[in-house]
Amino acid sequence: MTKKTYTLIALMSLILSLTWIILTPILFPGVDAQQEISAPHEGFLAPQFSLESTENIVHALDDYNGQPVLIFFWASWCSICKRIMPDLQQVYETYQPEGFEILAVNATNQDSFTDAVNYFTSQDYTYKMLLDTQGEVTSQYQLHAFPTSVLLGPDGVIIDVVIGTGMNGAYLSTQLDQLFSNGD
Amino acid sequence: MFPILEIGPLAIQSVGFFLLMSITVGFLLSSKFSEKLGTYNESIENGLLIIFGVFLISARLGYILQNPATFIENPGQIISLSTTTLNISFGILVSAITTVTLAQRNHLPLLPTLDTFTPLLILLFIGLHLANLANGDAFGLPTQLPWGVELWGAKRHPVQIYALVLLACYFLWMIYITKGLKQTGFMQSGMLFTISTGVIAMITIFTRAFVSERILLGMVDILQLIGLIVIIVCYYFIYHKLFHLNKHIEVILSLGSNDNPQSNLIKGSERLQEIYKVTQASSVYRTQAVNTHSESQEYFNQTIEIITDLPFSTLRNQLKAIEQEFGREPGNKDVVPLDIDIITYSDQVFSYQGNQIPDPDLAKYRYIAQPLAEMAPNFRHPATGISIKKLIAQTKDNSQITKIEEVDNEFTG
Repeated sequence: MTKKTYTLIALMSLILSLTWIILTPILFPGVDAQQEISAPHEGFLAPQFSLESTENIVHALDDYNGQPVLIFFWASWCSICKRIMPDLQQVYETYQPEGFEILAVNATNQDSFTDAVNYFTSQDYTYKMLLDTQGEVTSQYQLHAFPTSVLLGPDGVIIDVVIGTGMNGAYLSTQLDQLFSNGD
Repeated sequence: MFPILEIGPLAIQSVGFFLLMSITVGFLLSSKFSEKLGTYNESIENGLLIIFGVFLISARLGYILQNPATFIENPGQIISLSTTTLNISFGILVSAITTVTLAQRNHLPLLPTLDTFTPLLILLFIGLHLANLANGDAFGLPTQLPWGVELWGAKRHPVQIYALVLLACYFLWMIYITKGLKQTGFMQSGMLFTISTGVIAMITIFTRAFVSERILLGMVDILQLIGLIVIIVCYYFIYHKLFHLNKHIEVILSLGSNDNPQSNLIKGSERLQEIYKVTQASSVYRTQAVNTHSESQEYFNQTIEIITDLPFSTLRNQLKAIEQEFGREPGNKDVVPLDIDIITYSDQVFSYQGNQIPDPDLAKYRYIAQPLAEMAPNFRHPATGISIKKLIAQTKDNSQITKIEEVDNEFTG
């Protein structure tokens, strides 16, 4: 390849790349309305739901507008869930006075109702246990595994979705610290 | 979207699975590649384990330093296996510093090592896009095109598929050009790596246009800008390699003869002095033939360093012509009046169309290594950075080799 051919090819492809970069915002404008679409993914509005608690009180996600919320999907047969839940209780006790809420959604349609309630009450957890008896919310949130934790900011937008052990006490505390310090 | 892979009774997080798989496969391919290129160095394998460990520890340490209060309350979680409590950027920074330090300590040559890790680089990008595909991350813009996929409340550009298809095409081309990871594909060190980096940058510039969430600098996506800078650097590097020719190329030659060797070697080096600038020469050594077909089991060998500005292939052809002047018959391995092999050509490392530089025999046989050690005691193998002393210590060749003191070779350059 001669120097001239190489320079020509290099310049052509650089000009093409630059044109594509300049045209990108014109041809493919980014969608800013993402936070108005509801989808179970980071950056989207959390899908709305209302579920009954064990005391037959209906709790809607809407009720917690303006508060950071952790939706924790669990089942009584899930050992990892039960390993994390005491951690969550600790964090809950620290941040609940500041307005933090935990909704522990039990996938009741994939669990034994009695086992789930017995476990939850035996541990004296003070956060809310909700019953997804029809599996509507788990399917709305496209659940693939237990536990799945969905952390929402006060505006109802999903900050993080964590499958498995990742949503431990240390991680949740740091996320909440950031949230509350940003809000101040 | 498939964030969890179910393999038998196991449920594995796809992100971890794809990243780990791509790193493993990429590393295996690079490892095989390094054996073919002659860049295999056990310090790389040991180093990678150290770097991985340093990455994990420093990423956790970075997270702890950022949020000390949290860990004072939960000290047990300092050693938790969770991947969320890692400061990835800090981990990458510390492990990059460790990589540079280790590479310098082991004298690893930069460009040949980068060429060796080109398969890993491509596989890493394939793994990243597979991980994003599995998790539904870095998703595309809404589209009405027939191949749009339903994701997060809209029909969207399958942007990860675009990237994967392009990367797969490039990967196949790389396999083709390297003849199935057996050659560098080019006669210059660093060329394969640079072209691959440039192509990955182009793919990124192209596919980022379809991504919904962009990191903007003004109106422009930062990743596209970085891609453009990378392409400019790559073009400059390739231009420099192709057209900015070095006028001062140091070449180490190994001379050998088993037919009237004493006289042929002296005449041979005199002939080289007439044509090139000879800067260094070793003593002549009496060696045993490594080729058992030779009638004469005894060879005389010598290494010589010349300076030239000739391209590799021209120099090789000239040297072949000199061999023939001395009566060398092509194909006749038994009677060798004069044999001139190019052992190193500058610090280049390549394997292309039957030419491998540095000559793989350098690390195998004492008849090259021993005279070279005398001529250039500080010599390091351009492909592995291993010192000449260590090369001799590692060689399995135990043949007898004796220095011939009486042969005069006063090359002073």
